[in-house]
Amino acid sequence: MSRTITIEPVTRIEGHARITLQLGDQGEVEDARFHLTQFRGFEKFCEGRPYREMPALTARTCGICPVSHVLASNKACDHLLSVTIPPTAEKLRRIMNLAQITQSHALSFFHLSSPDLLLGWDSDPATRNIFGVMRQDPALAKDGIRLRQIGQMIIEILAGKKIHPTWVVPGGVAEALTQEKREAILKLLPEGLEIAKRTYGFFKTLVPKFKDETSHFGTRPTMFMSLVTPKGNLEHYDGFLRIKDAQGRIVEDMVPTVDYQRLVGEAVEDFSYMKFPYYKPMGYPKGVYRVGPLARLNNAEACGTPYADVALAEFHMLQEYGPITSSFHYHYARLVEIIFAIEMMERLLKDPDILDHRVRARARSNRDEGIGVSEAPRGTLMHHYRIDDDGLITWVNLIIATGHNNLAMNQAIRQVADAYVDGNHLQEGMLNRVEAVIRCYDPCLSCASHAFGQMPLLIELKDAAGQVVDRLTRG
Amino acid sequence: MTQHKTLIIGYGSPIRGDDAIGPLAADALAAGPLPAGVNVISRHILTAELVEDIVAADRVIFLDATVDGEPGEVRVRSLAPDASAMSSMAHFLDPRELLAWSQALYQHEPEAYLVSAAGAFFEYSNYTLTPAAAAALEPMIERVRELIAVR
Repeated sequence: MSRTITIEPVTRIEGHARITLQLGDQGEVEDARFHLTQFRGFEKFCEGRPYREMPALTARTCGICPVSHVLASNKACDHLLSVTIPPTAEKLRRIMNLAQITQSHALSFFHLSSPDLLLGWDSDPATRNIFGVMRQDPALAKDGIRLRQIGQMIIEILAGKKIHPTWVVPGGVAEALTQEKREAILKLLPEGLEIAKRTYGFFKTLVPKFKDETSHFGTRPTMFMSLVTPKGNLEHYDGFLRIKDAQGRIVEDMVPTVDYQRLVGEAVEDFSYMKFPYYKPMGYPKGVYRVGPLARLNNAEACGTPYADVALAEFHMLQEYGPITSSFHYHYARLVEIIFAIEMMERLLKDPDILDHRVRARARSNRDEGIGVSEAPRGTLMHHYRIDDDGLITWVNLIIATGHNNLAMNQAIRQVADAYVDGNHLQEGMLNRVEAVIRCYDPCLSCASHAFGQMPLLIELKDAAGQVVDRLTRG
Repeated sequence: MTQHKTLIIGYGSPIRGDDAIGPLAADALAAGPLPAGVNVISRHILTAELVEDIVAADRVIFLDATVDGEPGEVRVRSLAPDASAMSSMAHFLDPRELLAWSQALYQHEPEAYLVSAAGAFFEYSNYTLTPAAAAALEPMIERVRELIAVR
């Protein structure tokens, strides 16, 4: 008799989602799906708006990663203007992006995933939360808050107190950096780097304890896509697209971001509001790839900063050969990226040009199509607009980092469910692992669609006739 | 004598109609004259790093929209830390959860209030307040001024 397990909502992620596990006659998992159950339709309601409003509009896609949308959107607008922004403006935008990555990764690691990592997958769900972490390791919890605050403060120093910065504008940034602001940011970075290094060191000691999860959390072959610098190094703001296959061979390299449509197709499934991007030359659904910290580190030859390069070398040693395949190591990659972000912010701030007053190229729209691509914390973010002669938006396509990972997340929950779920005897810890593999990707479903709301977690096991044969509740 | 510190946090989405009333009220307060020791923050949502600001305050006043009550109705209630008020999503927090973070990690429990205004319309892609919510803005600000006048 076939049965279905539903996990709804998936907890400790951003936004609303549901997981269903279809069980066969013997209680084995036959299928697993990740459903995005919320809908916003941002692409549609942007139509008809002036293109200059797009950065502010799309930033409101999400209260968590507005900076990422501001940057990708302004890059699309730069393209519409047909301008190359001043070098100092680019450096300032980079600093803002790195601050965003720092605070977003801190939230993911310290607050969303640390309850599992610190307290255990099978621990009491009533205490497997941030308050459990505070009791077990208050210093770690404080570090998480402080690191997030440092990232947020840097954004506020650059852009003002608003969560949705309007300091980044088409053509560059609205105001040059002052010496006072530079010093204020530089003052924050040593503490941030100490926290990042301390946390990285701590996490390295935890990794060996999770051998089982490491070998089952999304290790099935996928490609990896990210931006890289012209030298093939770690890149978060600009550069070129690179795709490596599961064996680590480069299959696409130095692809200009304006050519993304040659690489990425988008499929739709009736069970989710989130689109299913795929690598076009391989077709759907074979063309599965991952983006985000794991992909960026797998694709990078080097980080280019001292401590991060040491950490990158250690990251590559997590596996004997080839790219690091386990999605469990997204956590590891996030910590390496925080170290990199802080080191790189310091380097950029110490650049002699950083106080230059030429920070904005001014122009009217000079083309009818604009594409902006950057690396958001969760992966490659693509904004693509078309405008009419009056500068009004006629068409929008947003490919969000979480969307790129959709196929891989579905593949990963199937793998975890195969490994851990016994449909004849449900245990909460089994299902927590199914949720936890999703948390590895730190999906931001607000960006992939969105609507807030709350409900307790309810997991029901039903038989083919719809009768509930087992039930777990949480929250 | 050390200065009494008050933190005002207005939160809500600026593109969901009446949900914006919290940050709008906060912006209005920040623009006007405020007693010394009062700090104002506007946010889309409540996030973890705000705990550091709460720890530095003797009194915290949250400003939010609500679906409870007649549209335009303004209410004030005191808040206490509540660890059970956790969001399943964890990227945005309930004010009582933030207070519980402060209590659990820093043993700091400031006097806390929620000043709310009932809204009527919260759909996406709406950038203005309904007349009822707009009319509640000034009374909301007035209630905050009454609270911060008490030392």
